[in-house]
Amino acid sequence: MIHILSNQETKEILSKLNEQFGIQKILGRLIKIGKERIFLFNGDFSDEQIKNLEKIVFIEKIGIYVGAIFLPTGEIRLSIEGTQIFKDQITKNIFEINEEKFGNWMQGEELDIQTGLKGIIVIKYKNNFLGCGKASENKIGNFIPKSRRLRSKNIIK
Amino acid sequence: MKTKIQPKPEFMQKMKKLLDQADFEKYEKIIQEPLLNSIRCNTLKISPEELKIKLEKKGWKISQPLKNYPEVMVVENELQPGELGRSMEHLLGYYYIQELASMLPAIALLAPPLDIDSNYSFSLLSQKRSAPKPNELILDLCASPGSKTSQIASQINNTGTIIANDVKIERIKILASNLERCGVADEIITREDGVAFCEKLKEQGLKFDKILLDAPCSGEGTMRSSPKTCLMWNPNTIKSLSKLQKKLFQRAFEILKEGGEMVYSTCTHAPEENEEVVDFALKEFKDKIKIEKINLPVKCREGVVEWENKKYDERVKFCARIYPQDNNSEGFFIAKFKKLK
Repeated sequence: MIHILSNQETKEILSKLNEQFGIQKILGRLIKIGKERIFLFNGDFSDEQIKNLEKIVFIEKIGIYVGAIFLPTGEIRLSIEGTQIFKDQITKNIFEINEEKFGNWMQGEELDIQTGLKGIIVIKYKNNFLGCGKASENKIGNFIPKSRRLRSKNIIK
Repeated sequence: MKTKIQPKPEFMQKMKKLLDQADFEKYEKIIQEPLLNSIRCNTLKISPEELKIKLEKKGWKISQPLKNYPEVMVVENELQPGELGRSMEHLLGYYYIQELASMLPAIALLAPPLDIDSNYSFSLLSQKRSAPKPNELILDLCASPGSKTSQIASQINNTGTIIANDVKIERIKILASNLERCGVADEIITREDGVAFCEKLKEQGLKFDKILLDAPCSGEGTMRSSPKTCLMWNPNTIKSLSKLQKKLFQRAFEILKEGGEMVYSTCTHAPEENEEVVDFALKEFKDKIKIEKINLPVKCREGVVEWENKKYDERVKFCARIYPQDNNSEGFFIAKFKKLK
């Protein structure tokens, strides 16, 4: 079920994104599909046009998946594309990994590393934004979906 | 070791009729050769300059064969099977693996029109890119796997709205996943039979500035990448596809705005699926339709005006045929139209 977020709902999401990552602006409309998944739509099709279209055809998806509400804590977990879209605004809870860890991360592995951070954090390697992980005391949990994982570290040169 | 492509004799007879002897020999030879490792830089995420640097650091030798289209790249090295799709740059959506000829329909859709009275030849034209018009409503009617949708989104820089439709759920999943990886944010993905989709939209009065109809086809042009096409090739399928293509064209053109533009393309050589469909459209829409000359950055041939005792409208010569032997690519057919009223 597609739900175009109202201004108030968008403000609430923005407030969370600001609190977690320092994000101050959302360029586009937010849409929720299901309970958790948040999409960003940049098209200029109006809300009414979307609703009218939905009446006659089956809409599979609108815009780009930018993140999900991490249900245990209510935090927002940005997707790879979410972190890439907001990369210029992310100022908080961001952790840069080295080349070796980058390979591990892209293979979907948990990283044994102390970040000094807790909760959902953005992972980057150089200028590549790599989605979010969940930091605890000595490790970062990995959310890279299977379809986006590297099969072999040898591919990174 | 590449599998030898063994097209059916009946198919090769048809190709012989389309080409002269020297050309046919070149065609026979090129279809046995592997395709170039072509990719398209996804400018929604990275510039061609930055991507080239990243890929060259991996040891890949990159060429950019199309003047004025720096995003079109060829990896010159010999690669392991699947290597292009397994790289970190691909997983992060910095490039899309796309055959050169398959990039042409989207280029045609967004290219400025050529003066139809100008002295024109289908050879390497000096290509000028036009600035994309913002806020247009664009339909990609048979969109999966999303190569052309993501290319359009990239060219219009995520402005406007693209409705990307396809009919089967398995194909929709691939489409959605590719568009996500490419960072496409201005699209609405719908699942509906193409003809029914257009009929429903017509009823609602929704019309488009631009439509890409990259129609389902017999895929004769894709034998180099998909040798199984040779086995599946069948003249009866071509006949039924031709019927479907005409229906799709008719319905799609009805939901194009006045002044709007539509590109019809297939990855096949069969005139029944190409010029015959265009001929049908010109007869069906008479003074409402204008066929446009296309400005493409590769060698193209004119459409055929006669095929197996059928004479088509002379204007079908403005269609572009892309043969594998001309550009070391796959085969394609592209025609562009404007709705006059």
